[in-house]
Amino acid sequence: MSRSESISSPEANPDNRYKDAADQYGSALERLARAYEADAEKRRDLLQEIHFQLWRSFQRFDARCSIRTWVYRVAHNVAASHVIRERRTFSNLVSLEELERFPDKRASGADNRINLERLSALIQQLKPVDRQIMVSYLEDMDATAIGEITGLAPANVAMRVHRIKNILARRFHEGVDHAE
Amino acid sequence: MQNNPSGNDPRTIWQSQPRGISTVTLEKMIRRRAQKLHRKAVWERLGSVAGPMGTVAFSALGIATGYSPVQLVVFAIAVAWSLGGAYVLNRGTWQGRLAEDAAFATGLEFCRREIERGIYFHRRFLLWVFAPIILAVGALVVPQLAIGFRAGGMLANSIPFLTLFALWVIGVFVIRSWKWRTMQREIDELNDIERENRI
Repeated sequence: MSRSESISSPEANPDNRYKDAADQYGSALERLARAYEADAEKRRDLLQEIHFQLWRSFQRFDARCSIRTWVYRVAHNVAASHVIRERRTFSNLVSLEELERFPDKRASGADNRINLERLSALIQQLKPVDRQIMVSYLEDMDATAIGEITGLAPANVAMRVHRIKNILARRFHEGVDHAE
Repeated sequence: MQNNPSGNDPRTIWQSQPRGISTVTLEKMIRRRAQKLHRKAVWERLGSVAGPMGTVAFSALGIATGYSPVQLVVFAIAVAWSLGGAYVLNRGTWQGRLAEDAAFATGLEFCRREIERGIYFHRRFLLWVFAPIILAVGALVVPQLAIGFRAGGMLANSIPFLTLFALWVIGVFVIRSWKWRTMQREIDELNDIERENRI
């Protein structure tokens, strides 16, 4: 039995299941927290909250979906809840459609750290559902997997991923020859 | 999307970010979080009763120093209303833990539920916290204004207080209605996404 099969079986111990999931998706969860919170202190809090809720959620895991879908659903939902509760008065989150229309004033840089900051800032402007799609796309998930997490139809996800690609291509590939 | 030879590929940039929390063990993190959640719940509970309790204290003072029976009745209503508000808000609408079925809900369903909880809380806030405050302050101010109109000088003395109070009321309304509109717009957008989803 493979590792992912053993932790997704309904008989597995919830604590062990959580530990295995945290080992497997720990880095991805850290990246996810960055997509939802810019402030480092609050981000650490959010990550703790995600792990805590994930640990709690495994008491109720019934193997109806894959471990990956479960982990990302819990993580995205905890993070979306954080964004909705923490939103500042008179601040506006935008949709992918709106983001596509915004010009990016900052120049494209080759420095990885600067690019990561730009990418994080770009994601943090998005509304929760679009943010979930963007993060899942950046984690190399396909439309079906993203659909399972977000509840969107794969065709709808594909359309939004196309928009994401356009936005990212415009902002990160400027001046570099590339083909779709 | 093709991988970018310059290292500008967003997926590579995203996935190669360094880990920040490798030194803290997950068990410790969870234990600490559980303690923090407990403390947070206590503070949230205290915070949610601060407004109603302030109104109760204010009204109690009004009852102790009041002179007309109508004023006493209005203060008593404000006290009862505030206590009701403290109960309603403490049943846990907006604050509190994540919904138990968060893991079973898709992102779309979950966002809708969270926003609806927010709308519910804001509606309750106006009815159960804001309205009793207005009533209690009104019970104090209106008779004073009536006396002021007759006496002349007293009205001028109360202008700074009344101005500040009016600004606070306007501020609360502007912020609340802005939040309300934002949440309503978000619900409409989620409806649109769901409609697109069905096509």
